[in-house]
Amino acid sequence: MTVIEIEGMSKSYKGRHVLTDVSLQVEQGEIFGIAGPNGAGKTTTVECMSGLRERDGGVLRVLGLDPQRDRRELLPRIGVQLQEAALPDALKVGEALKMYASFYDKPADWRKLMDEWGLADRQRSSFASLSGGWKQRLFIALALVGNPEVVFLDELTTGLDPSARRMTWGLVREVRDRGVTVVLVTHFMDEAQALCDRMAIIDQGRVITHGTPGELITQGRTESLEDAYFALTGGQAA
Amino acid sequence: MKGITQVVAVELKLIIRDPMSAFFALAFPTIMIWVKLRSGKPLPGGLPSVDANVPMLSIFVIGLATLVILPATLAQYRERRVLKRLLATPASPGMLFGAQWIAHMLMALLGTALLIAIGAIGYDLSAPANPGIVVLAWVLGALSLSGIGFLLGAVVPSGRTATVLGLSVFFPMVFISGAVIPRESMSGSMRAIGDMLPMAPAVQTIRNGWEGHAASPVAMLVMVGICLVTAGVAVKAFRW
Repeated sequence: MTVIEIEGMSKSYKGRHVLTDVSLQVEQGEIFGIAGPNGAGKTTTVECMSGLRERDGGVLRVLGLDPQRDRRELLPRIGVQLQEAALPDALKVGEALKMYASFYDKPADWRKLMDEWGLADRQRSSFASLSGGWKQRLFIALALVGNPEVVFLDELTTGLDPSARRMTWGLVREVRDRGVTVVLVTHFMDEAQALCDRMAIIDQGRVITHGTPGELITQGRTESLEDAYFALTGGQAA
Repeated sequence: MKGITQVVAVELKLIIRDPMSAFFALAFPTIMIWVKLRSGKPLPGGLPSVDANVPMLSIFVIGLATLVILPATLAQYRERRVLKRLLATPASPGMLFGAQWIAHMLMALLGTALLIAIGAIGYDLSAPANPGIVVLAWVLGALSLSGIGFLLGAVVPSGRTATVLGLSVFFPMVFISGAVIPRESMSGSMRAIGDMLPMAPAVQTIRNGWEGHAASPVAMLVMVGICLVTAGVAVKAFRW
């Protein structure tokens, strides 16, 4: 079943075209990766999908709904983790989960969620006192607190140390294994290769290619996804 | 209004945990009243100083909560993308702002209660002659100044900028609107300038109510007008 359908989506800010032609499909229960250089339009694509921005043109359906027109119906069914978003410094882990749970009609049991994601020991820790990996763990838990069918994770592992990154990968797989469809924005090709069932590469506001990581490697006639990425985006491999 | 009690509770905790805002809202007015009532001299006209200072300083506390702390909170939330994250939940914006407002009002109420308690226990404060007008003046003053605070908080990009901007609106306003210096101790020209500022009707109405003078309906309408206009513009201009 197709969960997200995008056809020819475009968006410009103040006359600058950020998205010119984005088309892709995300299937239920997969981890779908969106990769591409900085400024390619990855975040804008995800923000349009999660109802945070309005597209200018094209077709966009998430769970059969238009994120612009049907925002109110869509928001209870999706979860997001935003790039560089934060919580107030003094907010405690338990308070954040409890408050976010109160926004939904049928929330997950936030205490149970806190246990499942290993946050119970840190229930009384303030957001500011958490390390990067624990902050991301909390953000994932917050994205799941409304029992969503789709979650959007934008640069979840940027700035994390290698062990926290590996830990976070495990968490993303766990989300998928619960039957939640995951849309993952990432810069890291090792991450895309390790996690994504399928992925799209966006460059200059359009999807230049999509497929499984294996298909992309074949397409780029290279040995690794990273080399394929450079071959396909025309970037310079170091 | 799903979740409003949760958000109010969380915001109140955050305000209390922030030493700056707790100090400004509670300790600062306490120090002010002590400094101002030390001499014990009545005001020109014979009114005991405490009977002017307690209502005046309660407007000062409202001003701090609404013009300084409220916009700083909103702007900091914008800067750190807390607002954006909330926008991606089913929480209604009306609920979120309502909860913010209530939390800041509760803080102002606590500051006011503290002032009244200190005035009553330490300085023989007279009971308000017209409590209904006092409450009305407090609420209308809070609404009009909150409108201005929301307008500041609606567009300012960062918490620091909002604090600087808020303080630069707040301090001149409290000094010449009669919230720190009693109106009867000010020169005529200063009073004339002060009367044009949006805090003046709140100060005048609450003092009139406390002393038992007739309150001006015009002043009350001005406060309602300020609230509607500023809140309307804030909603239009709001950036997440």
